[in-house]
Amino acid sequence: MSQAKKKMSARSFAQQKRNKRRMLTSLRMVRYGVNNFSRNAWLTVAATAVMTITLLIVFTTFAARGVLVDTVSDISSRIDMSIYLKNDVREDDVATITNDLESLSNVQRVRYISPEDARRAQVDQQKGDQETLQALSEATNRLPATVRISLHDINDVSQLNSFVDSNQVYIDNRDTEREPSFAGERRQAIENITKWVSFAERIGGIATLVFIVISALIVFNTIRMAIFNRKEEIAMMKLIGADRNFIRGPFIVEASMYGFVAGVVATILGVVLLYAVREPLVEYGLPVATTINDTVALIGLVLLGMIILGILIGVISSYFATRKYLKI
Amino acid sequence: MILLDRVTKTYGKDMKPALNRISLHVEPKEFVILVGTSGAGKSTLLKLLTREEKPSSGKIVVGGIDYDTLKDKHIPLLRRKIGVVFQDFKLLPQRTVFENVAFALEIAGMTNREIKNTVPKVIELVGLKGKEKNFPHQLSGGERQRVAIARAIVRQPKILVADEPTGNLDPKHSWDIVRLLEKINKYGTTVLLTTHNVEIVNKLKRRVITLEHGKITSDQAQGSYRQ
Repeated sequence: MSQAKKKMSARSFAQQKRNKRRMLTSLRMVRYGVNNFSRNAWLTVAATAVMTITLLIVFTTFAARGVLVDTVSDISSRIDMSIYLKNDVREDDVATITNDLESLSNVQRVRYISPEDARRAQVDQQKGDQETLQALSEATNRLPATVRISLHDINDVSQLNSFVDSNQVYIDNRDTEREPSFAGERRQAIENITKWVSFAERIGGIATLVFIVISALIVFNTIRMAIFNRKEEIAMMKLIGADRNFIRGPFIVEASMYGFVAGVVATILGVVLLYAVREPLVEYGLPVATTINDTVALIGLVLLGMIILGILIGVISSYFATRKYLKI
Repeated sequence: MILLDRVTKTYGKDMKPALNRISLHVEPKEFVILVGTSGAGKSTLLKLLTREEKPSSGKIVVGGIDYDTLKDKHIPLLRRKIGVVFQDFKLLPQRTVFENVAFALEIAGMTNREIKNTVPKVIELVGLKGKEKNFPHQLSGGERQRVAIARAIVRQPKILVADEPTGNLDPKHSWDIVRLLEKINKYGTTVLLTTHNVEIVNKLKRRVITLEHGKITSDQAQGSYRQ
């Protein structure tokens, strides 16, 4: 064998040996982490419990945000965006106005309510109240012909404004005594509702973020205390020649295991909790069905997300918590 | 094997130096006892050798390694060449005797086969055969110190630093540990022992270095404890 070849094979042999050692070291770090997890029973239970509560808070925060978003969209869809037509408007004009409105990009749905339909709805609402019914039957029907519009974005009524200013069929048929609901005095009421809705959304978003940060800090502190309890152990490891990664690795593995177990437990508890509060929340008129259905339909993803979040918090916390003790 | 040249260690600007221009030379295979009252500078000296602390000035060379040129990332490699034994044993409480001793080899990346071959021999050498599966809390103080010694020598270091290894032990167990250190020294390891035990110092008849207020006040080839 030539000198160069001999040199090459010696080099690749040394490289192989290094790789083998690296692999062996990684496996040992995992083994130590698993050992610590299983042998420090109390610490494991305490840290996993704190992390479970943390992840449950995160789960609940997201669920609450889901319910809030549904509530907001429910309120938004109920906001009265209406234009009013003459009582004797022709059906083909109504069809033209409806079609023209539906062609606008911000319009979600358009519904025409004739004065007769409105009266019928009023009568239905007053069933059992004979005096009111009697009064209604005697009174002239002063209810307007209404076109009710649902928008994708209730903050943006510019398309509707330009529609009422420029659509000739509407201008020819509009009820001159009634302004559109999104104009004039009623506009202020709608603006107030939209302000509250976007405020609630923003607060919900901030609350989610704040809860996640606080939860992560609680876990970080728990892991920091767990590591603080073992600082003597870390000092000893350093003194007998363990390098940083070898010391840190088992702590990271251990914290990942807290995160994994906590992720699974918190998901189970979270789903149980959602079902438990469903009835009371429905009684309060909150739309929880979508959140529950989405969670159950995507349970695999939710579980995976919770596990990843748990592991991530564990890894980051233990990384930073050990850093302090790993200075030479 | 160990060379200290005018080493000074000061912890704070206005503090008295813990070590004041210490010069010391220890030959390979020597057994050296370091004595002195608390605060005399013994622990500081050992911390400088294990590179837990850096000297404020002066030069340290151990086993041919000049600490001035030693990079931080190479400190673990240096420490693997020095065996260390502490007064409070510093064992891993959640690991068995075997695992505690094996740990010193695992961090050095030795294979499982090498570990299985080496560890039982060392455990037998320190007289703990049959206790491999015990956890530290199931052992007496003397036995725990034997585990610590086994862990310190399993990598066959050229130097063994023992910081008050008998400080927590009764006289019988203290002597067992000292005899063990002598045995290790006989196999060729340089031993640096710190102790307060007058009887041990006087009976061993080894080189005794006395530290007082950060200075070496005596260095006797076959010394005794100077009160």
